[in-house]
Amino acid sequence: MKKIAYFDASVETPEEIILAADMVPVRLFGNPTIGIDKANEHIPPTHCVWARNILEQAINGLGNDIKGMVCTHGCDCTNREFDIWLECVNLDFLFFLNAPLKRNEISLKFFIDDIKELILQLEESFKIKITTEKIQLAIKKMNQIRELLKEISELRVDMKLKGSEFHALVKEIQQSDKDKMIEKLKLKLIEIKERKPFSDENLKKILLTGSVIDDTEFIKFLENVGYQIISDDLCIGSKYFWSKVNENGDPIKALAEYHLNKPIYSTKFPSFERFETLKNLAQTYNVDGVINIAQKFCEPVLYGHPYFNKKFKELGIPYLFVEMEYNRESYKQLATRFEAFSEII
Amino acid sequence: MSEVKKRGKMLNATNKLKNEMGRHFLAIEQAYRDGKPTAWATAGTPVEFLYAMNVQPMLPENSATISAALKKSQDFIELAEEEGFSYDLCSYFKTNVGAVLSNADMSLGGTRKPTFMLSSDVICDTHVNWFQVQAERFNVPHFTIDVPHVVSNTNNRQRDYFKKYIKEQLWELLDFITEVTGNEFNPERAKEVALNSYELGKVWQEVFELRKNIPCPVSTRDTFGGLFPLFTMTGLKSPIKLYKRMYREAKERVDNGIGALEQEDYRLLFEGIPFWYNLRFFSNLERWNAIIVYEPYVYAFTKYTNPNLTKKMVIDNPVESMAELVLSFWYIYDLKTRFEKFKETVRDWKIDGVLLHNNMSCRPNACGMYDLKRKLMEEADIPTLVIDSDMNDPRKMNETQVLNQIESFIEILRKRKKK
Ligand code: SF4
Ligand code: SF4
Repeated sequence: MKKIAYFDASVETPEEIILAADMVPVRLFGNPTIGIDKANEHIPPTHCVWARNILEQAINGLGNDIKGMVCTHGCDCTNREFDIWLECVNLDFLFFLNAPLKRNEISLKFFIDDIKELILQLEESFKIKITTEKIQLAIKKMNQIRELLKEISELRVDMKLKGSEFHALVKEIQQSDKDKMIEKLKLKLIEIKERKPFSDENLKKILLTGSVIDDTEFIKFLENVGYQIISDDLCIGSKYFWSKVNENGDPIKALAEYHLNKPIYSTKFPSFERFETLKNLAQTYNVDGVINIAQKFCEPVLYGHPYFNKKFKELGIPYLFVEMEYNRESYKQLATRFEAFSEII
Repeated sequence: MSEVKKRGKMLNATNKLKNEMGRHFLAIEQAYRDGKPTAWATAGTPVEFLYAMNVQPMLPENSATISAALKKSQDFIELAEEEGFSYDLCSYFKTNVGAVLSNADMSLGGTRKPTFMLSSDVICDTHVNWFQVQAERFNVPHFTIDVPHVVSNTNNRQRDYFKKYIKEQLWELLDFITEVTGNEFNPERAKEVALNSYELGKVWQEVFELRKNIPCPVSTRDTFGGLFPLFTMTGLKSPIKLYKRMYREAKERVDNGIGALEQEDYRLLFEGIPFWYNLRFFSNLERWNAIIVYEPYVYAFTKYTNPNLTKKMVIDNPVESMAELVLSFWYIYDLKTRFEKFKETVRDWKIDGVLLHNNMSCRPNACGMYDLKRKLMEEADIPTLVIDSDMNDPRKMNETQVLNQIESFIEILRKRKKK
């Protein structure tokens, strides 16, 4: 089956449209174990490493199944780098989706126009027809995934599911055939529910937030320090299944509404509203602490940190902020900071 | 390196710039005394609408450049870093945070609490994040304009609904201003302001046209400073007069074959924001009889560079025209257009070499620079040099290294000329 990749700093790409085009949406992730020499010839070293890492993979080739790429408006990096992709990535279909910065009626109308343009360009390029019925079917499918994931995610709280296992699962879904994943999730749910909770005596319950965190090894590393991620507001996490798309009415409008009604990302305005989401999650799950991770040079998260620091202090919720390099060696160097935080909470 | 140091000539009119800046700051003082509404605005927002609605604009970016010129920016930046803002964030932003924290006077780059803030993501996300941080601190309303990102393969169909989106937000902005200040939008006043803005931009473009001449009559001594009114006073009458004086003087130089440099051997283009804490750096170029004859960054703020937009359209439909303008702004050109524009400029301004400032503060501007360099060199045979530095943070400037790089670059240009 043909695939369409998407490069998205959050998860605002309407995968349903790609599914309705009878193609598999595949989210692009970084790989912290590779060198990024080729990308460095295009992008200065003081720009987001994660985005450079993905460009490196794209220059090297994303595989024969991948027939195109959608880049969704995120931060200055993802937005500006799209033109570089056009220069040096060998794909015939490259589309920039302008997911709006703001959330109101005007931006909703604009987002609908932009999704319609995506549909038009997919239809023109691949000589296909993306029908309303197909979009509606895709929405149903994705809603099923959202529902299953939501239920599974709660098992982190019950200490039946490690944060890292859950992380790997969400990643897999974002890259795989959705029908197969629905079957897998159904079985997984039954299997995990039957598990005996692991001992949580010494585990610190954490709410994880920040830039895109896509290396499951990093979550494992946090677990080795003594943390269990029981909640998050991440794109490889709850932002992927926060709510469901309305299955009645105009499906394109429903998709746009769904994305604009989710809790806001650090890349959108007003991103400080994220604090309300984080506060609610921290209080609902009674976490021991909040960890905010910024990928090196990730401006959206760097701008937000002092505000969150102040607000969590006011609430008396322990908060740790860490700027991280995108390679596994650096995790080890950060171990003492994570250990120290674990001791004080 | 040549030992002889020749001083480039500044236009007499440029000396009057101080008065113009003074006028701007007095207007701000007066607004506070009179209780008139004030607004912070980021570069690229329609400052014209503020003037049209009797709101006094203040541009913290310009204030930040003043701090840098007075060698104050580093202190302010470090203060912001103590607050938790990363070493890697934009130094204009951090200068402003530090200046506000230390209650700095306007003459040192301080900016007072406004009635509201106006930002946009047309140039960078920093603008939006910056004002979000400061609006929260000052507890004032903040309006941001979302400008869709134009990329190299954006088609006309898309441009149409992009424009519609911007236009709707501009009307929303006018309502917002009325709601916050009580001031109504006056279409007649808006036309007058649009006309002034248009004229200001056009006179500045004419000054740039004169720079096509060999020798070039105007150097960065005039342009970097001369930029100030384009940001802060666009829509007012007084800076037009100043620019006209600059133009007349430059024209006289051209008519008499006089250049800003005594001896002009190399004509350069400088892309990016200058190092405000070290403007002296640019006079160093004179050692090699090199002169910068074009700065896209400066030219960008003349705004009216879209040939499809006539004076009549600007005056008759200020809101509609503004929507078109923000989508066709030099500073945010997509890579393909940027490259074409560079090639054209190099040809028309008879440029020998291009300097690109890889500004560590300004990722949106630096992004694509490596490809731009490669394309200019390989596809257009234009010598190009990338300089790593920062516009407001002197810690990120290694002057000796940069000068050495430039010296080698000039050597390349010299050899090419000999051929
Ligand atoms: S990690 Fe941050 S800087 Fe990098 S692409 Fe994502 S939002 Fe942008
Ligand atoms: S220097 Fe660049 S990042 Fe900073 S405010 Fe200006 S345009 Fe934005």
